[in-house]
Parts: sequence; structure tokens; C-alpha cells
Amino acid sequence: MSHLAVQGLEKRYGGIAALDGCSFDIPGPGIYGFIGPNGAGKTTLFDIVAGATAPDRGEISLDGRRLTGFSPHRLARLGIARSFQECRVFGEYSCIENLLFSSIALGTRPDPAEAERLLKLVGLEAYATEPAASLSFGQRRLLEIVGTFLQRPRVLLLDEPAAGVNPALLEILATFILRMHEDRPSVCLVIEHNMEFIMGLAREVIVMHQGTVLERGDPQAIQTSPRVIEAYLG
Amino acid sequence: MAAALLEQLVNGLMTGSIYVLIALGMVLIYGVMHVLNFAHGVLFMVGGYVCHFFYTRLTGSYTAALLLSMATLALIGAGIERSIFRPLQGNLRNQVIASLGLILVIENLVVAIWGPNALQMKTPATEHLISLGELRFPLQHLMIIVVTSVVVAALFAFLKWSKLGTALRATSQDRNAAMVVGIPVERVDVASFALGTALAALGGALVGPLFLVFPQMGDAPMVKGLAGILLGGMGSVPGAVIGGLIIGVAESVSTLFLPTDYRDSIAFAIMVLILLARPRGLFGVRMRGEA
Amino acid sequence: MRRAGLLMLLVAALYSIPLVSAPYVLHILVLCCLYAIPAVGLNLMLGYTGLVSLGHIAFAGIGAYTAAYLMVDLKLGYWSALALAVAASGVAGAVIGAICLRFRSHFFMIVTLAFGLMLYSVMNNWDEVTRGAAGFPGIPRPAGFGPLESFYRLALGGALVAFAVQWLVVRSSFGRILVALRQDERLAEAKGVNAALCKTAVFALGSALAGLGGVLLVSFLRVAAPASFNLAESINAVLIVIIGGAGSLAGPILGALLFVGLPELLRVAAEWRLVVFGAILVLITLFAPNGIADLIARGWNRLGR
Repeated sequence: MSHLAVQGLEKRYGGIAALDGCSFDIPGPGIYGFIGPNGAGKTTLFDIVAGATAPDRGEISLDGRRLTGFSPHRLARLGIARSFQECRVFGEYSCIENLLFSSIALGTRPDPAEAERLLKLVGLEAYATEPAASLSFGQRRLLEIVGTFLQRPRVLLLDEPAAGVNPALLEILATFILRMHEDRPSVCLVIEHNMEFIMGLAREVIVMHQGTVLERGDPQAIQTSPRVIEAYLG
Repeated sequence: MAAALLEQLVNGLMTGSIYVLIALGMVLIYGVMHVLNFAHGVLFMVGGYVCHFFYTRLTGSYTAALLLSMATLALIGAGIERSIFRPLQGNLRNQVIASLGLILVIENLVVAIWGPNALQMKTPATEHLISLGELRFPLQHLMIIVVTSVVVAALFAFLKWSKLGTALRATSQDRNAAMVVGIPVERVDVASFALGTALAALGGALVGPLFLVFPQMGDAPMVKGLAGILLGGMGSVPGAVIGGLIIGVAESVSTLFLPTDYRDSIAFAIMVLILLARPRGLFGVRMRGEA
Repeated sequence: MRRAGLLMLLVAALYSIPLVSAPYVLHILVLCCLYAIPAVGLNLMLGYTGLVSLGHIAFAGIGAYTAAYLMVDLKLGYWSALALAVAASGVAGAVIGAICLRFRSHFFMIVTLAFGLMLYSVMNNWDEVTRGAAGFPGIPRPAGFGPLESFYRLALGGALVAFAVQWLVVRSSFGRILVALRQDERLAEAKGVNAALCKTAVFALGSALAGLGGVLLVSFLRVAAPASFNLAESINAVLIVIIGGAGSLAGPILGALLFVGLPELLRVAAEWRLVVFGAILVLITLFAPNGIADLIARGWNRLGR
């Protein structure tokens, strides 16, 4: 269950190839880090898997079912959730309203008790009825991530969750992600530049470079791989 | 048939020139500030009224009145930019709503002050006829076409070679980059608004003698100017010129085949067609997630 | 419970107004109701969903002229014609809305503007069907609602229906989705919202409400004229929604009351009224984006506690 297969993804913007034959296979639930220098195509990959863009070529499938070119809302209904690099929440809605929104959107029964429990886990219970816009950036990031887990996804895409979050909240975030992953395992793909953060979370790291997968392996091996080092420096 | 076509071509070039002036004003403002000033039409109208005022009350010289009108409207435009559009920067919805409010204020102030009836502005050029083969046109027609051509050429030169013109182009291409290299973008904003409004005023002052000066005179031209910049491409100055001329000529030539009642609809239809078939227009500069 | 009781009292009071009011006042109140109905539609589109339509009142025109044609040319009964006309506006809204919604921000506004102008052009020029600029005369009032006092009750009923529809939508899941779309459409889609479908649906609903207002208006005036449905009227509709308070339940009602009622009571000439309203519109965008209804909403909430 939750076998995510990506084959031969290509995406060009003008003359530039953001993705140039990107393929990988995720056999089942687990936290996978996606790293690579800027321009490697990581966010483009997420945009395509989440349906925000269609690839020029290539296929994506989940448990054998083809998902390429589906719209974001359809993919959400099939169990794909994502967070955004720039951190998106509904500013006017309160934290609770933000969390309960996905059940409204998906037509499932809202679970306020669960939402409150999760808010407590990340230390935001005091802000439950406050508008999300009044939170600090790090707090909004926490809210955003909590929201994605409440969608009970099969595939979860987190785009640079640690970016812009202060160290104290980062601890809470990492703990929360690990804890949620234990309770409800999913194929959790995490783009990160913060090496410390991702190496502590991921069971396996996939390195992207110039639009394709360069290497993959456990965090230790990746950190010492000469090819990876060259990709970042060269 | 050829004579009728030629007649409509000349008419079309004339009205097209007016649309070009409006379109240029709107595209300058849009390019720099990314705001569509729907109130541009009423500013065009006020240009006509102010010209009429100067011409009939203060100076008997049409040229002087025209220039004074442009100057006055440039000041008004600057004032509007400062007090309304600058504070609302980045909030598109509120900018549009504010411009709607402006339309109401300005159009109805004009009615309250001058009354709802049309005013006449008789200039020598409207009386004087010139001949083109067997056709005759008021000199004003030719004047409009010539003046617009000169203004367009001057504008191109200004944008290409002058310091402010270059700053304008830079700001419209990439505001942040312009700021980084030290361009005073706030001053560029005011300048573009003042310049755009002056062009609108010129349009109103030029067309006043031909078609009377009345409160609603800017409503249809604004939409046609808008159609012109859509046709030419939202950020494109040459596009605005070509778009405006095409709309003007298409409108006039259409009267040869369609009942004149539907003349105004030509521009609207072109607008919808362009938006459906090729939203970025003929020379569209940027997409920026629009459409 | 206090709120429900107060509301019933208010409705009862509104219905009893003809017993104590002069015809002139009733006339104004009828106009208030008739302006409020399309405003409710636009409030759902603009206030709650963030769709700035500059051609809204053209759909009131579609409802009006459809009803005129059905009632006068086809001699259909009043209520059937009304229902069909409202449906026609809704369908037109769905079709035209679907086209307009392919565009974003500036372009969306421009397309709605363009469609509004085109529809006006049709109303003004298609003499065979619409009777052109002179207007389509002979629009009836329904049996039993002829006199002013009775028509007032009809108009009030229409406004209450519109208000009820708005209330039901806003408190439903659909309403929450609309508000989410206004805040961040991309995020809403990532959460599972079919943005295109929902926006088209609210466009259709808003247009249907505009159509209802249009039919009742031309019943009141007894003539359907293009001037009632031109660009200026669409701008007035935006004005009413914004001044009353976009995205609030009471907004369109308050806006209509202010727009129609206040100047009449103050005996101000039409131009000055619009100058003042235009100025208020500008001031609101600069200083008070939530309008007057926001203040009242806070008072109402205190009552509800």
C-alpha cells in the first residue's frame, strides 16, 4: 500500500529544463528527504505530484493507479496532501477553522476534538480561536503542517518545512512529524535545505541535481558521497 | 464603394487616434503601477471640459487651451496617484473599487457644476474642410491624426532616450530590480500617472470640438481604449498604438456592413474574442499569472 | 433565542409599515428592496468569494427581459414567468460565468465588464425582441399585488427570500468554501476544493438573484428599459455592496437602504448623492475595508450573548 512511482518526468520552462528525466520509486510509507542545490527541480517535482502543474512527459502512479495530470483537488481527494514553500494558511480563519477546513472541502466528518489535540501537541492550543494571520511565521508553519496531517494523507509532500522557523519551534516540528508518522504512516516526502533537520527525520535521502535523481541512500552515506558534494560545490 | 471605404478609413484613423491616446495613458499607468485605472475615461472627459473652459473663458486660442488642459489634468492625475493609488498599492480589488468611486465622484461633479447638457466647442479647425479626392473632412480630423502621431513619436523618443523614460521602462519591467539600482520608483509612479492622465486630457480636448463635450463622453472611449490595450497586449506601448488604431478602423469600416447601432459592440466583441483566443494580445509582454 | 425573537419582531414590523406610512415612503422602501436583491447576489460573489464582477446588473436585465417576453408576448402566468426568468438568469450566469472565470484578477473584471456592455447593447438594439432603447412596456404586476401597499409586501418578500438564501449559503459548507476561495484559492484547491466549479456555482446563484431583482423591478416600473441595466447600475451595485459591508450578511440590505433611502429622505439631487457615495466608496477603500455592516455586526454579536 502507498507505492509511489515516478517515471521519466520532464518539465521545461522556456529553454530551461526544470526536470529532465526524473524517476524514482517509493515502495511504501516512510519519511524521505529530497535535497539538492537550487534549481535541481525539487519544488517542480512536488508541484507535479500535487497536480499544480502537468509534466511535459512522464508518469506518476500511486499503487499502480496513474495520477499524471490530475488536478490538485482531485489528488487531494485521492489522499495527496502538501505544504507550501511559502507557507499557506487561511489568514482570516482561526487555527481550529483552518484545521477543520479539509473535512469541509473533502466532505468528511469534522473532528474538532482531534484538531484540538493536535494543536496542543504543537503548543498552539492558546491560539485555537485566534485568526491564523495573528500567528508568527513559525507558528503558522506548525499550523500548516498539522493541517496536512489532518487530511490523513497517503502521500504527504512537505516543501521546506523548516525554512524560516526558529530553532525552538523546529524541535517541536520535528517531534510532531515523527510522532504523526508513527501514528499514521504515509509516504512522506520532505524537501529541505536544513541538513540537520532532515537527517534526523528521514530514513532515506534522495539527492536531485539538474532535474534528475543523482543518488539516494541513507543519510550517513549521502552526506559523505563525493558525487553529492561535487554537485553542491561544482 | 472605394470612396466609402476610404471615408471610413480616415474616420477610423481619427477615432483610432483618440483611442490610442487613451490606450497609451492606460498602458503607461498599468505598466508601471500594475493598476487598471477604470477612471481613465472620466479624466478624458474632464480634459474636454477643462479645455472648453480655458478656450471659452480665458483664452481664444485652442492650442493654448489644449496645453493648459493637459497640464491641469497632469496635476490632477498626480494628486489622484498620491492620495488614492499609492496608499492602496498591491491591493488590486480596492484599487479597482476606488477607481469606480472616482468615476462616480468626477462624473457627477461635472454634472452638478456644468449641468447634464452637452457643451459646444467650436474651433476654426472644425469649420474648415479639406478635400481628399472627392471626399471632404473637417480639418480637425487631420489635426487629430497628426497631433496623435507626433505625440506617439515623442512618447517613444521619451521612453527610449530620456532618463525618466528609461526609469519608467525599467520600473514597469521589474519594480524590485529598479529599486535595487536606485530608481526612485515613487516618483516614477507619479510621473506615469501624470503623463497618462495628460494624454487622456489631450484626447478629450481633441475630440471635444467634433462631438461635443458632455459628462458621459469618456465612458465608451475608455472601454475602447481598454479593448485596444487588450488587443495590443497588456504591457506593450507599441501594442496600445496598434490596438487602438485597429479598433478605430474596425469600428468605422463595420458601419459599411452592419447597422450603425452595433458600432459600439465591435470593440466589445473584439475584447471578448481576444480574451478567449489569445489573452496576451498581439504583442503581450508578460503573462504574470494573468489568464 | 433572543436573536430569533428580535428577527421575527422586525419582519412583522416591516410588513406592517404600509399601515402607517405615506405612499412616498412605501415607494422608497420598495426601491430599497429591489436594489437589495441583486446586491445580495453580488455580495455572495464579491463579498464572500472575492469575484469582482463589473457586469452584475446585466443579469438582472436578462431576468427582466425574459420575464417581459414570457408575460407579455407569450402571455404566461406571472409566477411561472418569474420562475423561468430567474432560472434563465441563473443559467446565463453559469455559462457566462464559466467563460469569465477562466481569467484572473484584472482580466476577470474586464471580461465581466465586456459581457455587461454586450448584453446592454443587445437590450438596446435588438428591437424586435426587447423593443430597444424606448423600453418594453406593459409589464404586469401579479394578481393581488397591484396597489402600492401590496406590491411593497411582494418586494419585501423577495428581499427576505434573497436574505434567507444568503444566510443559508453562508452558514453551509459551501459558504465556508467560498470564503476560503477568497482568501487563498490555491490552498483551497490543495485541500480538495474544486475551485472552478464552486466559483461558477456562486456566479450562477448571484446571477439568479440579480434576475429576481430584475423581474420585480420591471414589474414595479411596469416597463423594462435598457437604462435600468447599464454599466452605471452595475457600478451602483458594487457601491451598495462595498458601502454596506462586503462579505457580511446585513451588508447588501444596509447598502441599499443607504443608497436609495438616505438621499430621498434628505431631498438631495441625484448628482450630489452619487458624488457623496463615490467619495464614501473611495474613503472606505482607504480607511475602512469592512464597511458599515462590520460595526453593526459587532453590536449584534453582543446581543446574541
